[in-house]
Amino acid sequence: MSSPPARPAEGPSRESPAEGERTSSLEAHALVRAFGPIRAVDGVSFELLPGELLTVFGPNGAGKSTLLNLLAGALQPSEGEIRMGGRLRSHGEVEWRQQVGILSHQTFLYGHLTAEENLRFYGRLFGVDQIEDRIHERLSAVEMDHRKDDLVRTFSRGMRQRLSLARALLHDPAIVLLDEPYTGLDVHAAALLRDLLSSLKDGRRTVVLVTHDLTQGLDLADRVAIQVRGRFEFFGSSVELPSGPPDAFYRSVVEGVLGGAGGAP
Amino acid sequence: MIRYVQQVEALVRKDLLLELRTWDRLSAMGAFAVLVAVLFHYAVDRTLIHPRELAAGLIWLTIVFGGILGLGRTFALEEEDGAIQGILTSPVPKDAVFLAKVTGNFVLLGLLVLLILFVFGLFFQVGLGGNPFALFGVLSLGVLGFTALGTLYSGVTVRSRMGETLLPVLVFPLLVPMVVFGVRGTSLLFAGVSGAEVEGSLRILGSFSLVALLAGAFLFRFVVED
Repeated sequence: MSSPPARPAEGPSRESPAEGERTSSLEAHALVRAFGPIRAVDGVSFELLPGELLTVFGPNGAGKSTLLNLLAGALQPSEGEIRMGGRLRSHGEVEWRQQVGILSHQTFLYGHLTAEENLRFYGRLFGVDQIEDRIHERLSAVEMDHRKDDLVRTFSRGMRQRLSLARALLHDPAIVLLDEPYTGLDVHAAALLRDLLSSLKDGRRTVVLVTHDLTQGLDLADRVAIQVRGRFEFFGSSVELPSGPPDAFYRSVVEGVLGGAGGAP
Repeated sequence: MIRYVQQVEALVRKDLLLELRTWDRLSAMGAFAVLVAVLFHYAVDRTLIHPRELAAGLIWLTIVFGGILGLGRTFALEEEDGAIQGILTSPVPKDAVFLAKVTGNFVLLGLLVLLILFVFGLFFQVGLGGNPFALFGVLSLGVLGFTALGTLYSGVTVRSRMGETLLPVLVFPLLVPMVVFGVRGTSLLFAGVSGAEVEGSLRILGSFSLVALLAGAFLFRFVVED
């Protein structure tokens, strides 16, 4: 089956937001990140409106995590530009990172600190006001308040993941980046996470979710991208997806690029 | 500026708390210092040379060799579960991360120096000389420069397979001025000279430390960014 055509984003707006307006829209324009001869992200463009959730699917090695690291400010793009609310990332790296919360494969937590100490540490780095109240609120939201005084190294993978989500949301970021957030979660924790992700769709935040799970990824998505070999081979609204099983469409897109090597998402 | 100081303070506090919980670096550096002092004690033939004459050089070598053990693990705990990425994706300027790491390491190496002075005092019968303030000045400035260089290069080597071997190879050649003037100043002070006579050593050590700190703060971003 031939691959459906890629649907590039519309040209990004270059207007700066009005003074005092919360910056929450995210856009990338011809974004490239190369590691030597390999272009992990290759000419990606998209635009997300405030409150939208983009889910990025793709096979292993497609460059999804690299894309998130570019959006998080952890990697410098080789080419292209990224904007938040019309402001270029390169015009204020520190201010950019203040607006972003990231949940990665790794939890960014210290095993020899307690749950509360980890959050307090990150809260201070982000300059969170009323930090103790915020810590209590976030720990309660991920149902970890009863373990706040325990060292993180005593936690299961799922508990660390929940605490890491509390860390990522501690400073109330405008942009939330989630890399395989369901990894290691049991059924209850996955349901909890889904509720939390639903609560992020409050119209104020823009969320980019990378996942292999088509069902969970499409559940909340406003926009969907399929990334293969660094490029967005499909980008569009979730309602633009063709009718029928989503995994069939996914396979047709991936196999259109990789031949029969697409495999599962 | 207040925000910057608060971020540095949070990073230093976290590093020291982790060290208090694990005793990862302090135990290694402390055990090394004591063992070296014991070995030097038995290695020096006291019928040929008075150990006090060697004490300044041996103290500085123990600081350098012991200190590199601790500095080499500056980023080890940060690598666990990607914590360094958590810091680098937070709104903390890279130079603030560097200054915080140097401050935390300086505190640890300061404790190491106190232990070394105590142990060498026992085995080599050296005290603090006639001018302890000048002695602490010489030691502090030398250790500050050493810490700044060691912290920077620890960031360079942390992801290298041969990192802990590579670190001394990279750092030791740069420490020659610090060791030369540190040993000279310390020897003079052990011999009981006044603080004014080590002013030259203090100036050079101060300049060395300042250059190491400024260069480290500037270069650190290139070390930690991809």
